[in-house]
Amino acid sequence: MSQTATPAAAPPPPPAAAPASAAPAPAAAAQPGTSYVDTPALLNRWQLIGMSVAIVFGIVSALLQFVGWQADGRAADDTEQLIRVQEVKTSLLRADALATNAFLKGGLEDPAQREEYDVEIDGVLGDIANAAEAQSADRNALSALNVEVTEYATAVAQGRDNNRQNYPIGAEYLNTASAELRATALPILDELIRANQERAEGAMNGQHPIWLFLLGVAVLVALVWLNRELARHFRRRINKGIAVAAIIVLAVTLVTAVGAWVRDSSNDGLREGEFATAVSEAHARTAGNDAKALESLRLIKRGSGATYENDWTEAAKGVADSGTRASGEWSSYAKVHEEIVALDDAGSWQLARKKAIDVSGAAFQPFDDATRAAIEKNGEVATDDLRSGRWLALVISALTLLLGVAAAVAVARGIGERRREFS
Amino acid sequence: MMRTRALLATLTATTALLAACGYDATPLPKAGDGPAASAPASPGASPAQCDNATQSYAADNNKPDAVQQLTNKGRLVVGVSGDTYKMGFTDPTDAELKGFDIAFAQEIANALGVDLELRVILASDRIKMLENGQLDMVARNMTVNCDRWTQVAFSAVYYNATQKVLVGTDEAAKYTGPASLAGKRVCAPTSTTSVANIKEIEPDVIAVEAANHTGCLIKFQNSEVDAITGDDTVLAGLAAQDPYTAVPQQEKLTDEPYGLAFNKDDVALVRFVNFVLDQMRADGRWTKTYDEWLKPTLKVDATPPAPVYGR
Repeated sequence: MSQTATPAAAPPPPPAAAPASAAPAPAAAAQPGTSYVDTPALLNRWQLIGMSVAIVFGIVSALLQFVGWQADGRAADDTEQLIRVQEVKTSLLRADALATNAFLKGGLEDPAQREEYDVEIDGVLGDIANAAEAQSADRNALSALNVEVTEYATAVAQGRDNNRQNYPIGAEYLNTASAELRATALPILDELIRANQERAEGAMNGQHPIWLFLLGVAVLVALVWLNRELARHFRRRINKGIAVAAIIVLAVTLVTAVGAWVRDSSNDGLREGEFATAVSEAHARTAGNDAKALESLRLIKRGSGATYENDWTEAAKGVADSGTRASGEWSSYAKVHEEIVALDDAGSWQLARKKAIDVSGAAFQPFDDATRAAIEKNGEVATDDLRSGRWLALVISALTLLLGVAAAVAVARGIGERRREFS
Repeated sequence: MMRTRALLATLTATTALLAACGYDATPLPKAGDGPAASAPASPGASPAQCDNATQSYAADNNKPDAVQQLTNKGRLVVGVSGDTYKMGFTDPTDAELKGFDIAFAQEIANALGVDLELRVILASDRIKMLENGQLDMVARNMTVNCDRWTQVAFSAVYYNATQKVLVGTDEAAKYTGPASLAGKRVCAPTSTTSVANIKEIEPDVIAVEAANHTGCLIKFQNSEVDAITGDDTVLAGLAAQDPYTAVPQQEKLTDEPYGLAFNKDDVALVRFVNFVLDQMRADGRWTKTYDEWLKPTLKVDATPPAPVYGR
């Protein structure tokens, strides 16, 4: 340990003077008003500060990139989960539309329609299991939904059994099942859709170019300060090691902040582009299938379907509000529905029912096909894009960490040089 | 030492950041967000009193005046039940509405020379839809009483039903009367007289309501109620759909004379309908209709009720 009595800017002590400077230490302590600096300790402290700053920069910057990369992955998973729970809602409403249509038709159920109903319910149960596996935060809600779907399917089966024995209680079981589906299962699905949409949109905001930039600026300021302090003490304007570290920090900051900004902009584009389209088409498809089921329920209630018609109008508004690109297909179906309503209101229930059975289903199918295709296509584009370039992000993240270490080493060497000069 | 501390702090921060990535559990909809569960209606004002509830307007064969009072030209719009087996129900084989009430509606439309439009309605909608002019007539096992006469007009009584109780087959032998229902859950449709009647006879009954009698049977099958009360015609239809139910031998709780209901102002239509009912009684069409729809389940012969006029 050696101490030097220093004026504000002490000249770098020549190597030969070093032993001499060690001697007056006790005397210096005795001189009031004169301050002394323990240069090696100061150099150690600066070295520690410089290295820590560089390492912390590497770690935090890499972490920010890692969190951003993770958020993009989560956004992709959340988008898939959102599409999955929307598919559950659509499938349930489609199953209900098939079941109600079969009851409307009367007589033995069409085997093809029955098979389609079974496929939809199987799909719902499979999707619920997959959704529970994919997102643990949804498990409670999905568990409650599973109970409701099972009760719905049981009630429809009871309705079907009674129907086959020509008992009117069969239709009542179906009515009750449809009403319960809307009163209990759909609100759970609406919560799941809302939660996953919020999660996906939130995760798409996981890139932090500003934080990366501010971090870089803060570290650069710290390095500049360090360089200034060294310059004051050793009369070297620029410390080579600190300069190298600053260049590394600047380069890493520019590359990562610009990269994160590009990614963030891309996510914004996705959120307002393919993701929004997938979500709105899914909204349109569920509302459309709801309307189709309500059309059958209206006719089952034979001439007393004003309540169901109000609900149909509400569902149709949902389709229109979604901004679906399948509006042409929807208009074709809606026209057929208007004809059915006109016939029913004019007292021609038989003709209305015939049209519902023979024409309405075929008119609705193109809308269902178009929205399904749009959901699949846009959902896939969104998730693929969110997952793309993840390996590059990981590599850059790892490189950032290494460059942080390299910057720390550069700082250590730079200050080490001064130490050697000092000693 | 300081380096170790810095490393530890960084690691802790990293862990905290990564841990923050978990999501809150998706909330379940709050109870009460859905439609409110049906609860028995609270007793309203005391019912109107009269001594001529079954008295209708004298029959009159004035078809033009009657047709004039139809809401829609060339159509008789009738509110019926779609789920009361044998009275008014949708036949699952062909999805057509059939039954005792439907047959009467068809006879009246034929006599008026107009098309028949049937609308499936709830019991609770009967009076409201007549008052709003949405229906010309209601043929939905509707009991004639003084209270309802203040809101609608009735034809002469076309069937004399009685209120009884349906229980499980295992309880049928033990059933001795309304006292057996004390503390038991008894179901009846909303806005019918059945709930008030049974509560008046046995106040300890726990009244449960459903949208209709078939809804009550579903509750019975799901063990949500212990018994169902209603008109014998309706209960016979329910028992025919479930072999584990029975309408035990019992005293009737009340008389339930059925009338066809109309808008209060459609007196000409009521008079013409009474004329048609007179004809049906006289030419055997009433008996034929009864034999086709109700006798197989009620298993007793019946005679048409004598009309009471003078209102």
